[in-house]
Amino acid sequence: MTAISPTSPEQLPAAPRQAFWRSFKIAAWLGWQIESNWADPFLFAIYSLIKPLASAAILVVMYSVITQADFESPVFSYIFLGNAFYTYVGAVMTGLSWAIIDDREHYKTLKYMYIAPINVPIYLAGRGVAKFLVASISVLITILFGVAFLRLRINLLEVDWLLFLVALLLGVLMLATMGLLLAGLNLLIAHHYGAWGEAVAGALYLFSGAIFPLEVLPVWLRPVGFAMPVTYWLELLRRALVGSVAQAFPTLSALSNLQLLGILAGLTVVFGLASIFAFRWCEHRARERGMIDMVTNY
Amino acid sequence: MNFAIQTEKLGRIYKIRGSKKSEPRQLIALENVDLQIQRGELFGLLGPNGAGKTTLIKILTTLLAPTSGKALVAGFDVAAQPQMVRPRINMVSGGESSGYGLLTVRENLWMFSQFYGIPSKVANQRIKQLLEIVGLQDRTNAKSSDLSTGLRQKMNIVRGFMTDPDVLFLDEPTLGLDVGASREVRRFVRGWVDENPERTLLLTTHYMVEADELCDRVAIINQGRVLACDTPAKLKHQLQKEAIFRLEVSPLNGLGIEAFQRLPGVNQVTHSPQDGSALLQFILAEEQVLASVVNTLTAHNIRILNLQKSEPTLEDVFVHLVGQSMEEVERSGQ
Amino acid sequence: MANNSFAFDGGVRVKKNSGWRLFFQTVIARAYPRLIGQQREKSWMFFDIFLPMLGVSAYVFVYRALNAPEDYIGFVVVGGAMTAFWMNVLWSMSSQLYWEKEQGNLALYIMSPNSMMAVLLGMALGGMVATTLRALVIMLLGTFLFHVQYAVVSFWQLLAVFLLAMTALYGMGMMAASFYLLLSREAWHISSLATEPVFLVSGFYFPIKSFSFWVAAAASIIPLTFGLDAMRQLVFPSGASLGFLSVPVEIGGLVVLCIVFLVGARYLLAYMERLAIREGRLTESRR
Repeated sequence: MTAISPTSPEQLPAAPRQAFWRSFKIAAWLGWQIESNWADPFLFAIYSLIKPLASAAILVVMYSVITQADFESPVFSYIFLGNAFYTYVGAVMTGLSWAIIDDREHYKTLKYMYIAPINVPIYLAGRGVAKFLVASISVLITILFGVAFLRLRINLLEVDWLLFLVALLLGVLMLATMGLLLAGLNLLIAHHYGAWGEAVAGALYLFSGAIFPLEVLPVWLRPVGFAMPVTYWLELLRRALVGSVAQAFPTLSALSNLQLLGILAGLTVVFGLASIFAFRWCEHRARERGMIDMVTNY
Repeated sequence: MNFAIQTEKLGRIYKIRGSKKSEPRQLIALENVDLQIQRGELFGLLGPNGAGKTTLIKILTTLLAPTSGKALVAGFDVAAQPQMVRPRINMVSGGESSGYGLLTVRENLWMFSQFYGIPSKVANQRIKQLLEIVGLQDRTNAKSSDLSTGLRQKMNIVRGFMTDPDVLFLDEPTLGLDVGASREVRRFVRGWVDENPERTLLLTTHYMVEADELCDRVAIINQGRVLACDTPAKLKHQLQKEAIFRLEVSPLNGLGIEAFQRLPGVNQVTHSPQDGSALLQFILAEEQVLASVVNTLTAHNIRILNLQKSEPTLEDVFVHLVGQSMEEVERSGQ
Repeated sequence: MANNSFAFDGGVRVKKNSGWRLFFQTVIARAYPRLIGQQREKSWMFFDIFLPMLGVSAYVFVYRALNAPEDYIGFVVVGGAMTAFWMNVLWSMSSQLYWEKEQGNLALYIMSPNSMMAVLLGMALGGMVATTLRALVIMLLGTFLFHVQYAVVSFWQLLAVFLLAMTALYGMGMMAASFYLLLSREAWHISSLATEPVFLVSGFYFPIKSFSFWVAAAASIIPLTFGLDAMRQLVFPSGASLGFLSVPVEIGGLVVLCIVFLVGARYLLAYMERLAIREGRLTESRR
């Protein structure tokens, strides 16, 4: 009998770059189909409106009760904007990580994704695009509400649009890498806790300086906040939109915009590499334990 | 009347939501279905995919209301008295993934038994027995998420039988099972019905062999209508009134075929000598005539080496009724 | 198969329970997967306890940053603990029927002679271990970490408020669950939609007296509104001055809500089941 020898990779044509784009494009289309087809446009609009506003309103009422509705204070802008943009954190992380649970347990298509010639992390990133778009609508609505009804001062002429766009895109990339990490962990856990993108986002709320400055945290917890890329991301967005008001809490005032961008980029790379490594490890474990197609709903 | 299941002009129309103007806005899944199934009967519902079998089962198991007509199960109206029907029925669907992945086989089955009010001790006994019967006793403590499709279906089958229903509905129960397991399930199903005349079983399938082998009576359904309802033998007999047999026998040793032609009920006989044997084909007026043929052979010391009955299949019956084979109907999308 | 000759039960009929016995059997049986699941898949301790604790802490620090009175820290801790029960009702009970429908279990529940209320109660009780543990951990850790001071006015009133609020809340959850018999994917989004607005209008993190009278009154349809307001009045020194209505009135309101929601749940479940059966929604899968 002739010995079996596998084809060496050099004998194969190089994997086309189009596979990345194909994976992303199809996944983005699929993600949008899933996110948008559960209701008619009116109900979808209501959902997109009420959810972010209610979340913002909790903080607004808390603030209002204590400060007697002093919305002119820069502290309010700090809290409001931080909370508004924080919507992206839960949405993007959930968008990537929940796709694993959704595809594995509900649609039972994850196994087909894994045997298809697509790049799974890129596929997951594509699935997150829809959540990003819905989150963008939520963020915009929240900010518009603040401007219209709560005297949030944003002068469009004074906005540093370049800084805003660069920071936003870098931040979304950073959030996607964190979502990938959660997605990897989702490969190894039961369905019931699959939506922990939002839970982790809720936990990170504490360390990101989104709604209070890091100085309020106990001393021993502050380093966690300084290690979180979300902290720098939110600071950059505030500076881009409201400039001097962002200095209501001078936690990072010693750092210039460029320095903040550099730190954010660096942390994104670090988290990105860690996430890719962790995801691949989780994938390997899931394959070993036959979990790629498990159904655990209880 | 001793009917386990009765339907009278039963109909179900589905409204199609969000359909384009050019497409039909409603789907007639069932139309004027009249059935009467006796207690103790193993009744088959045969038809292609999309014929309306599952819709009928859903109505009879109180999961779906009919849009017209009436259905009684165990003497109670499925629409008006579902709470009286439910303690008396159970259902197993092919390919279902019910239960909870993190529970073991035994735990899942125990849980479902409790929903029927079966005391735990009795339930555990029945579960143990049934798991042995279906060959799952070695996987009693395996998590159901670890089971293959076929083993999962066996677990589902146990779930159906363990609650001791008066009427059991099996909707494509051998889907996902291998040939051996399917055969054993069919044997068990037949035995279960025969064990107690109070038990009735309605089986849907699109496997002709399954319906032919198992069912006391079969209804052929297509596009929501029952086209025929009778015993498999009578349905086939409608197509071919005569019985055809092929016998391979030891050499005739001078016995001519006139000896068979003279027998009452033998319409035709042909003879093909083989090497060391002879092939005889008989067309008989009815099956019972075969006995006199066998007697004739025996009387002349001719041994029967092989006997085959050639007759129309239920597939032939379906084709005769519908004008297309089941595969052709499925391919054309009804 | 092991056995070639057919022998099962000799045709002997099984005696089955009905009525209250069946109800309790169903409750226990449906609670079982939850309880066992929590044993076998322990990651819930991280997701359902540790992470929410961090989320609650965030709101504490918001008040600290605003130099709020210390009682407000206590409000957040108590409110944060009670979110566990709201999340249990919303996700582990009401919208769980959506998952059951997707799995095919819902059809089996409806088809069996048990009561849907028993199934839902089983789900709720099964999740209660994790829920109670979450609430307790948040209360205890929050109290310890943030030095919350309590001044309990009446333990028995406090217990009554808690039990009535839970009963009414779970009754409301059963009513909400009935809609899931009809809905599919939109049900999951509606649950998601209900999360923050209820935190807002029920005053999980601040006294509802901050709202106008009519807004607070309308919000009182949610049992946790009265429940939290009464608890704050009974447990914090400044609670009484920040209360919406007096504790006896709020207890009375909770009693009414209990009756309304439990009776409503019974009729709404039956009605929605009939409607779902008529429309053919029980077994559809519209992901």
